[in-house]
Amino acid sequence: MTRILIGLVAAMMLAFSMATIAQDAAPVDADATRADSNAAAAANARSQDQFRGIDQDVQALKKEVLDLNRDLFLLEEELLFPANSQVAFFVSLDVGEYFELDSVSLKIDGKEVANYLYTAREVDALMRGGVQRVHMANLKTGRHELIAIFTGKGPHVRDYRRGATLYFEKGIGAKYMELEITDRVKKQQPEFVIKEWE
Amino acid sequence: MTIKNVFFGLVLSISAATGLASSGLEGQPAPDFALKSSTGENLRLSEYRGDVVMINFWATWCGPCRQEMPLLDELYSRYERVGFNLLGVNIDDDSYRAMQMIEELGVNFPVLFDSSKTVSELYEVEAMPVTVLVDREGTVRYVHHGYKPGYEDKYLDQVRSLLRE
Repeated sequence: MTRILIGLVAAMMLAFSMATIAQDAAPVDADATRADSNAAAAANARSQDQFRGIDQDVQALKKEVLDLNRDLFLLEEELLFPANSQVAFFVSLDVGEYFELDSVSLKIDGKEVANYLYTAREVDALMRGGVQRVHMANLKTGRHELIAIFTGKGPHVRDYRRGATLYFEKGIGAKYMELEITDRVKKQQPEFVIKEWE
Repeated sequence: MTIKNVFFGLVLSISAATGLASSGLEGQPAPDFALKSSTGENLRLSEYRGDVVMINFWATWCGPCRQEMPLLDELYSRYERVGFNLLGVNIDDDSYRAMQMIEELGVNFPVLFDSSKTVSELYEVEAMPVTVLVDREGTVRYVHHGYKPGYEDKYLDQVRSLLRE
């Protein structure tokens, strides 16, 4: 019982002393805050003129960043956006009486990019009106050279090898080119034409 | 025979003899290709989808190929009418020698010329001969490196089981 009483008294004394400390501490905090705010105000007043100068610099920098961002966006659109840099090459055969297609070889800017051998079934499909995508490339904007070399059997079942060249301008946006083999009835010879799809 | 051919043959023989050749192609879709054949026609592997196809890579300078080819031709003649095709892919630089050897051996299966070695690279050909079996779905099922007497029995069993699928 005595122990419980001693414990109770000790707890009350501890609580009282804590409250006293809190009361003593409160005025000290308030004073410190006031002092800090005064100091901050003084510092603000002192640096206000400097801030105006810096603000102008930041605005100028922001403008430069926006300009750079616009340039980067345009550059990205021009170079990195794959769908826009695509060029697809298609082969079609119209009639095909004077030419039996064997293979097509494509060179872009002097570099061989495709070499396709046609089976009898594939030639038959082309003769029935099929269009074959022979190659797909990603090209930069600007001028490019396309050379298509066609080999096969020409009139009188003779080995035939013909080339067609086209310079084309690659702009923004996908581009489609058709390599068309047609019959020139007047000359009884095949004709090889490269066309750009609009 | 050029020095290049001799060297290439030597490397392939050593790798076949030491059993270094292994293929990661089994279970994978067979890489498609189109090559000029001995008849002048272009043949494309994907056009044989639905049939069991054996692709046999060979060269004129390879002794075991000479042994194996007539046996493969027998297999081809026997099962051709039930959906089995055999494509012999010759890897010589000069197709003229290959044509001579075909005539000499009297084989009837289509022979294709891969003088640029693009198809043999696709099929990771590291020995000579290499025989690849492709199922009706176009998946590589078996790859055999080299040839020893008795291999033809293995081919027969595998072709028969693939035709049954």
